[in-house]
Amino acid sequence: MSPQVAGQLELLGQVLISGILLGGLYSLIGLGMSLIMGVMKIINLAHGELMMVAMYITFWAFTLAMIDPYVSLLIVFPLMFLLGVSVQKFLLTPVMEADTVLPQNQVLLTVGLGLVLSNLALLLFTANYRSVPVSYASKTIYWDLKLGGQTISLSFSYPFLLAFGIAGVLGASLFLFLAKTDTGRMIRATAQDKRAAALMGINTKRITYITFGLGAALVGAAGALLDPVYYLYPQIGGPFTNKAFVITILGGLGDIPGAVLGGLVLGLAESLGSVYISLGYKDAFGFIIFVLVLIFMPRGLLGRGRA
Amino acid sequence: MTKPRPMQLVTLTLLALGLTAAPLLAQGKTFKVGVPLPLTGAEAKFGEMEKQAYEMALDEINAKGGVKGTKLALDIQDSGGKPETATAIVEKFITIDKYPIVVGEYSSQCSYAVAGVAEKYKVPYLVVTGAADKITQQGWKNVYRLNPPASLYNLGVFNFFENVAKPKTIAILYENTDFGTSTSKAMKEYCDAHGVNVVLSEGYQAGGVDFKPILQKVKSLRPDIVYMVSYLMDASLLMRQSKELDLNPQAFIGGGAGHTLPEFLQNAAEASEYCMSATLWTPQVKYPGAKEFFDNFKKKFDKEPDYHGVEAYAAAYVLADTLKRAKSFTADDIRTALAETNMMTAFGPVKFVSWGQFTNQNRMDTLVLQVINRKFETVWPKEGASAKYVFPAPHWRDRK
Repeated sequence: MSPQVAGQLELLGQVLISGILLGGLYSLIGLGMSLIMGVMKIINLAHGELMMVAMYITFWAFTLAMIDPYVSLLIVFPLMFLLGVSVQKFLLTPVMEADTVLPQNQVLLTVGLGLVLSNLALLLFTANYRSVPVSYASKTIYWDLKLGGQTISLSFSYPFLLAFGIAGVLGASLFLFLAKTDTGRMIRATAQDKRAAALMGINTKRITYITFGLGAALVGAAGALLDPVYYLYPQIGGPFTNKAFVITILGGLGDIPGAVLGGLVLGLAESLGSVYISLGYKDAFGFIIFVLVLIFMPRGLLGRGRA
Repeated sequence: MTKPRPMQLVTLTLLALGLTAAPLLAQGKTFKVGVPLPLTGAEAKFGEMEKQAYEMALDEINAKGGVKGTKLALDIQDSGGKPETATAIVEKFITIDKYPIVVGEYSSQCSYAVAGVAEKYKVPYLVVTGAADKITQQGWKNVYRLNPPASLYNLGVFNFFENVAKPKTIAILYENTDFGTSTSKAMKEYCDAHGVNVVLSEGYQAGGVDFKPILQKVKSLRPDIVYMVSYLMDASLLMRQSKELDLNPQAFIGGGAGHTLPEFLQNAAEASEYCMSATLWTPQVKYPGAKEFFDNFKKKFDKEPDYHGVEAYAAAYVLADTLKRAKSFTADDIRTALAETNMMTAFGPVKFVSWGQFTNQNRMDTLVLQVINRKFETVWPKEGASAKYVFPAPHWRDRK
């Protein structure tokens, strides 16, 4: 094998690795939104802003108390769960119960919530860009692969790898929770048919609280995992809300395994597209796939979501 | 998706209040200048720094009695970094508040939009930080620019190339904004003209999480120089991820902006070491008042100003100087006085000249800085250097 071919293989391998690792984080962001979509039938447009809140919690935990971002997951998860529950209980539920508010207008409440959160962060924490300078931020694991007399050297970013692993564990736990526990079954029942679930004696209101709490906690976890490799500022939420939206549509509205697949597809599309087509249109690739999926597979990549 | 921002509502409310309050204010002995700035949104950090620098300069000017016994005041309004909002704010400044001069804005996009409005109403506009070439290439008679245009940001770097680096190949990565495109285009033209092979030139969308795929591509091309034009956080990520990939050109060179900010040192940490950048100003320059500005700003706001801060600070002094010389505070007289400006500021000499396609453009030398021991040092030109450059930079794996 010639060195040129080896170089191209190395590039391709690195691009695939980057795409999949990033996709793992995207999946975690998408999971929360898909879960909320499944039960509440609304798109949570404050999703990215919830992630921003979690990122600030992680940042302050690190800055003030030197708590490692991965350890702070233990704080972020319950705090974000509580925040999610309160949002559902005190903001969304009252609006959903009001007959005068059209269902599609409930979404607007989440837009407002997002604006309040990001501007509150601007007021409290200023517009400064922050980062969590952990010592292992640019630690890398190299993997030298011998292939046809050439060495292909692939690098794995340590924090990305860790984030991918934790995202995987959280995703798997969510599956188990939904599949095996009573509360999980109640969530699925409510998602399938809210009225029938209520008739079976399920307290659907409580289920919506738990669902929104879980959705917020999941995206919060993604925020904590993103902190060591990325940066934060008050308006960081918007682009991630868009990404979560794309992932949710790719996976099929409310389809949990679909959201995982959607996240991976988005990560790979961005990373392959930026090298082999053009870096400037990186964000466009996700949306192109988004439109194609909407036209040809309106029920998501796995064809199981709601059209 | 664009969402309406609450600041727009606030702006509207202020606008309504301003309507009723404006005649009252006009009677006092203050002269108000309209300044649009991004105080929210992704550029808010820079807007805030400029606001502080303007106010610091104004306090100093007013403490010395203002201009002809009149106190100066700024009417700073938040554009959110959006050209359409900046346009609306300036329309209001000119038509409702009747301000005879407009100063400021941060990004090239917004400055360009504001310049169009100012030209339409024949009100002088002093551009302070917007660097895209086209702003002063329209033949507009009311637009004056304090900062050099983006294509000249690299003058110091070109000089460094000719005398020291003598690169054969270069890879260019730039943010696809007005500033990034202008600066990188100038670099590309220089390289084409001087026999430097441009092996890759790619624009990117700001705010990406993972640049490793494209950096890997750069690595496979083995350029002598990796040149980047980025805003703050992208600059840090690019350097951190280059280190991760063990990408080793002879030098990483930034085109100003992101690579020159104090936060770059914190955020990129050890990955910032030996990174060079074009810059317009460092606290080490010999201009009178430069060091004082840096020290006072740091003391007052507990953070280090970069060249955006000193540009705003100098702009306030140019404004005061112009008003001192203006026969009256009307747009026409202020424009005449502004055109005749010839003064020294903490940012450097200011004089508006026209050459080539440029009109009313300040021209000045630019510098090259390098991060050495986690500090910004001026390394080029040699005469003003505070430290000797390190070139070529050692490979990542060979560093401690």
